[in-house]
Amino acid sequence: MEEISNFPLNPEPPEEESPQSQMHESTPDRKTMRTTKPGIKRLILSLTVLFSFIIGFPFLWKSIEIYRAPLPFDRIESFSSQLESDPLHFPCRFQAIFVGFDFSASRGLGPNDVAAAITRKMSQLNPNSSRCGNCIGGDYDVSVVIDSGSSCAQTEGSEAKCPLKCGEVVFGGKLSDEDFDEMLKRCLGNVGGGGKGYSVVVFNGDKEEGEVRAVVGKYRHAWVLGHVSEDEAVSRTAEIFARVFMNAGSEGNSIRSEFMPVGADGRIVLSFSLLNAEPQDWIYDWSFHEIDKTLLHPVIQALQPIANITVESQVLYYTPKSSFSYWDDIHGSHIFSTKDLPFFLNSNEWHLDTSVAAGGRSKVLQLVVYIPSAKECPLQLELPNGDLSKTNGFISPVIHLPSKFPYFIILAYFGILQMWGGVVVWNPESCVKDLESKDPDRRVISPQNLQKLFEVLMGQLRQLLGLKSDNLYVGQSGAYILLGSERGFTEWELDVLSGKHVCFNLHSCATTLGSLSRLVQSLPRMIIIDEIGKQVKFSLEAAKFAQSYASTGIYNASAVSSRQARSLVEDAFFHPSIMSISYYSFEHCFAIYSPFFLPVTMHVILAALREWKRYKQENRKYLAWKAKERIVS
Amino acid sequence: MEFCFLRILKLTMKVLVMLLLFLGNIRNSAAYFSSSSEATMHTNNWAVLVCTSRFWFNYRHMANTLSLYRTVKRLGISDERIILMLADDMACNARNKYPAQVFNNENHRLNLYGDNVEVDYRGYEVTVENFLRVLTGRHETAVPRSKRLLSDEGSHILLYMTGHGGDEFLKFQDSEELQSHDLADAVKQMKEKGRFKELLIMVDTCQASTLFSQLQSPGVLAIGSSMKGENSYSHHLDSDVGVSVVDRFTFYTLAFFERLNMYDNASLSSLFNSYNPNLLMSTAYYRRDLYQRHLEEVPVTNFFGSVMETIHTDSAYTSFTNKNFGGAKTKIFLGQSFSSSDINSVRNSDDEDQFNNLTAEEDQHNEVGQCIFCAMDSGHLWSVIIGNVITHESVDFFVCYGLVLMLPLLVFSTWLSL
Repeated sequence: MEEISNFPLNPEPPEEESPQSQMHESTPDRKTMRTTKPGIKRLILSLTVLFSFIIGFPFLWKSIEIYRAPLPFDRIESFSSQLESDPLHFPCRFQAIFVGFDFSASRGLGPNDVAAAITRKMSQLNPNSSRCGNCIGGDYDVSVVIDSGSSCAQTEGSEAKCPLKCGEVVFGGKLSDEDFDEMLKRCLGNVGGGGKGYSVVVFNGDKEEGEVRAVVGKYRHAWVLGHVSEDEAVSRTAEIFARVFMNAGSEGNSIRSEFMPVGADGRIVLSFSLLNAEPQDWIYDWSFHEIDKTLLHPVIQALQPIANITVESQVLYYTPKSSFSYWDDIHGSHIFSTKDLPFFLNSNEWHLDTSVAAGGRSKVLQLVVYIPSAKECPLQLELPNGDLSKTNGFISPVIHLPSKFPYFIILAYFGILQMWGGVVVWNPESCVKDLESKDPDRRVISPQNLQKLFEVLMGQLRQLLGLKSDNLYVGQSGAYILLGSERGFTEWELDVLSGKHVCFNLHSCATTLGSLSRLVQSLPRMIIIDEIGKQVKFSLEAAKFAQSYASTGIYNASAVSSRQARSLVEDAFFHPSIMSISYYSFEHCFAIYSPFFLPVTMHVILAALREWKRYKQENRKYLAWKAKERIVS
Repeated sequence: MEFCFLRILKLTMKVLVMLLLFLGNIRNSAAYFSSSSEATMHTNNWAVLVCTSRFWFNYRHMANTLSLYRTVKRLGISDERIILMLADDMACNARNKYPAQVFNNENHRLNLYGDNVEVDYRGYEVTVENFLRVLTGRHETAVPRSKRLLSDEGSHILLYMTGHGGDEFLKFQDSEELQSHDLADAVKQMKEKGRFKELLIMVDTCQASTLFSQLQSPGVLAIGSSMKGENSYSHHLDSDVGVSVVDRFTFYTLAFFERLNMYDNASLSSLFNSYNPNLLMSTAYYRRDLYQRHLEEVPVTNFFGSVMETIHTDSAYTSFTNKNFGGAKTKIFLGQSFSSSDINSVRNSDDEDQFNNLTAEEDQHNEVGQCIFCAMDSGHLWSVIIGNVITHESVDFFVCYGLVLMLPLLVFSTWLSL
């Protein structure tokens, strides 16, 4: 304050005095010099304000910073690259038991040579065995037991009893296939401790035995009975291993076989609908509760590791189909062709998707039974090769059902990846409408018919999962009877399914993780809350577990973990909080804060600049006076 | 005036951002990877139909959207796969002379608000946030399936939007706006997660083409009703209803589709060529640089219809039911359970050939609809001034320079005040 009063800042008043002051030589020129040091209080003050602003800026920056939970980008990267370079494989052990063969006598081959021959044959049959989710490719773990009756030899490390104890029983008794299967399961047990052991038993019979009977059981065993040569025995064994047990009889390459119709949250809702096209003709109902209890429950249990399945059912009325059919005199029925199938679904009238049980990302598979109206009553499907269906009359060519129930089956997809479900058309026993009665004709589908219907629906479900439902597999070296399981899926089929499922889940998990990490990196203003970070972490851990379970051959645990990994990462990617990006872009941030700070900052900077300039100027004056003083003195 | 202000605000932001880029704050420098979806097949169809206006005088926008809804349904997209976003305040509006009916033509042949109109997002649910949530799939857990776009990498999606728009924005119900970069961001995220194979964006607003300027994801095809600086006009006024009932671009689109059924094979290029600038009174704009296929080879039913692959089930799983199911079943009497059996058959009103005689009538009704800039009085004045002084192309420059000039002015005034 002192200095300011001594040297008024205002340059004007001194200027007015300057003409007088210049007259005195001794007094310094006020315009060019001054005798005292310039004050720095004002400078310090304004600089302090400026500096406090500058110091405050990082705090502000920090306070408006967007919270981003750290994501393990490098682990995501390594996970997906590892999955790519090293596809997932399960350890499988194969055991071939030859009863009544003597390889060493006829061919001079030991059990190890036979094992090598089987391995070679399997590699030939299954060239793309490196596919993800399959058994460890190339070098199969095959053990061989040869029981010639008089002697018994086996490969090292084989765990089967030698000689096989239940061989004699088989030859003696006449067992049904099912009983034989159960007996083999008792005898052989679960071959191999870790991983799944598959076994084929070949019993060499007499020439009089008749045709060779090859059966694949519902566990993990198969057997061949009858008179077979050594070569045939080896090639049949290899074929059962490579084609049936490893691929579930499907021709491996199609995309469909890779896909599982399981929702991103690991759930499937099976929605069964009974559609009465025209309730004025007849109304059908079904005892769905009964089916659910007896037939569906075991299936759901069997598929438990793959998906969490829930079932619901409904009966709908007034649901006409949307395509046209025409009357055919030769067949005595209404016909419509396969090329009209895509238009069969009448999405405007079939209100199927009523599921409240299904969450946003679960999968709903519609399984629909369509009952035609009286005026289109026996409704038949004509296959593309029209001849075939004509000769077969009422029966749809490939389904061997009594002509009394001439229903045919459509498996309708809305594309491969977004599977829709299936449709069965079921024609009532009698197409004659009761014209007399005014009340609607109420009927119930009889249990026998219902069972047949559900066999078809089950076939559709299996087809959706990528499995065939034929009970016969015809391979290169002969036909094999495939035993079915009352659970809907045999154990070896479930193994194949689990393998595919784990693979699909892990791949989908890796791609989603990759997408998420790219998205997060490319949008720096996106908020990532902790939950997302956690979900990603847990997902990676679950994926690791799935991989380690797979490598030890624990199918079920691996399937469950992989499902978890996929659903967690999907949750992370679709987390609702990620939306905030649209409302907090950098432009918005700038627009919000600049009105607060821009005007003030401008003043503070200008003030500091002014003060600095003033101080420099005054200081120069003082220095000039100092210099003059020195000269004078 | 409000929109002029918004527009200037937006440009202001642009300029400020340009300045900030100078400071080194570069946003979004990393490009998204485009996941390879070349190999996947087209397996299903979805449609997202959005009407972004509300209030009675925007009747035509709701009619536009409902007409498109009816068309895609007729061509085979099921209701489950249509997300319809609608203010839905016309049918029961007090001013509506035809309660619970909406028409897109003054001949009143076709009631668009007839059977089975399933509106997924209604009234105030039509927001930018919900729209972007539908596109990106990021919903709260409680949101039901019917409100979600559950598409996948084999999906073809039709995105139709109508309402009031301007340069790089689309107004949502007078309260917020969707900007072109919001849309582009959402589409990018969809591509990243494989939520579509191909996306057709069809927009009927003023300056519709500007909404596509930020798009950069492959597989996107965009059609807009008008170029930058052009307005989209309504087609005709219904003197009974009292307002315009359909927009020109949508009207001619519908006229094209009325000739088709779901078996037809008309290509997208034939749709595009059907737009006559003289009839539209604007220039339809196609952005096709992101789209790989030739438009001549793409049937319109790829987007406006539905495909479905069906496979015949070869065999039943017979061994499944070995156990003795249904041996001695209790007979179930169903008398009671059908007490409500007198369900009335819902008959479709025969709503064909609605559009057949439209073309004959069109000339009489050249009522030009209002677009936001020309409708509001002050806005009109403004657009006249701007229009007189400079052309539309140089508006941006004008505003930019104006803003840059304002900066020294601010400095100067601050200096003076010290």
